[in-house]
Amino acid sequence: MDTFFKPVIVAMVMVWIGTASPASGKEPLDELKQPIDKVIEILRDPLYRDEAKKKLQREKIWDVIRTHFDFLEISKRSLARNWLVFTPKERKEFTEVFGDFLGEIYIDKLQGEFQDEKVVYVGQEMVSDSKALVKTTVIRKTAEIPMNYSMLKNNDGWKIYDVNIEGVSLVQNYRTQFNQTLSKESPAQLIERLRNKNQP
Amino acid sequence: MLLAVLSVCCENESVAGSFSETAERHFQTDRKLILAEAVRPPSNSGEIEEDFFNEDLDFLEEEAEEETVQVADPLKPWNRAMFHFNDKFYFWVLKPVTQGYRFVIPEDIRVGVKNFFNNLAAPIRVANSLLQGKWGGAWAEFSRFFINSTVGVLGLADPASTSFPQMEPSEEDLGQTLGSYGIDNGVYIVWPFLGLSTLRDTVGWVGDGFLRPTFYIRPTEAALAIRAYQTVNATSFRIGDYEDFKEAAIEPYEAFRDAYLRHRKTLVEE
Repeated sequence: MDTFFKPVIVAMVMVWIGTASPASGKEPLDELKQPIDKVIEILRDPLYRDEAKKKLQREKIWDVIRTHFDFLEISKRSLARNWLVFTPKERKEFTEVFGDFLGEIYIDKLQGEFQDEKVVYVGQEMVSDSKALVKTTVIRKTAEIPMNYSMLKNNDGWKIYDVNIEGVSLVQNYRTQFNQTLSKESPAQLIERLRNKNQP
Repeated sequence: MLLAVLSVCCENESVAGSFSETAERHFQTDRKLILAEAVRPPSNSGEIEEDFFNEDLDFLEEEAEEETVQVADPLKPWNRAMFHFNDKFYFWVLKPVTQGYRFVIPEDIRVGVKNFFNNLAAPIRVANSLLQGKWGGAWAEFSRFFINSTVGVLGLADPASTSFPQMEPSEEDLGQTLGSYGIDNGVYIVWPFLGLSTLRDTVGWVGDGFLRPTFYIRPTEAALAIRAYQTVNATSFRIGDYEDFKEAAIEPYEAFRDAYLRHRKTLVEE
């Protein structure tokens, strides 16, 4: 009954392959493809094979990724109604610390588990003028994992605000969790928890 | 006076679990927030970008529909205890045993064993594909079973996948079949050893059991031993996955429940 873990996790890992650099009046799919290719390139680069270079590789990946996620939107949607309980200062802190948290967790896994996956771009659906769904499939030796990116257009171009892997949405999964945490703890305590996770 | 109002609001704040209770709490907390802002010194609000003052939550409406995946969890105390039990069982028993097994047994053999058990479960997938009217899927599963049981030597190899990649495995089970008939999950249940499930999926799992050859093995101890071995072999391919997902969670119980329910929902809809 627990066989669903594997694809979900592998895919959550692969999420972060799906991200990186400059923007303009491009199609959402193109804006997704460019960073994905870039991150795969960094992961394959023999320059970083040495253990001592892993930290540098990590920073490179993070540089590529961070500009392609709309962490403010991800934070708002993950907190949902709880966003209103946070003060503007707490919102800002949360957005920073949650962004770092997601980055830490997933770059770790990318570096640890990358196995020459291929990403196939299935297509894009325009949900509205400023919203799109880009569908991809991650091809592994033993499995194909469908992975959909929800993208939102802002002034800098298309940004990712949610990732859906086999029906499990990153934002919704964290929303369920934050609802639980905030039913017994304050926003400051939640921020503190995330911060502690970031600095083991 | 303001302080008095504030303290009253705080007292009303309940330790809510359910969604509606939480929503109500927000309403109260909202007022508290507004009051709190009123008494708070202007602080360093100058450094905070305008975005963080934005209280526009319109997007919640478009997503309201998606919230319906929530499944009742009246057995929460039991479920949490079992979730905890399974977690300990994994780290104290299953993982060390599997690591030893993986160290001793080469990957090729483990893949063969996995294929063998997977092939044995083909009748379940054929039957459920038929029950859902997925004739193509049923035919693909039947053909794969036939090819792998013969050319693939009792299912140890999986020549069907390499020779006929267009015949995709059709991962159907009775829980999905019942779901496709419009039967709800009922309640969420965590079983010791078996893991995450719902009432519907449990009924499905028991029903599928009759199509599992190992079900008919006697004595029961032998059947359980085979089942345990199958679990260890399957786990040998995914050590680390559980740890990773748990590591990425702030509230592991809720994270796993949500992931299970949404993933199952997607499978039913396919």
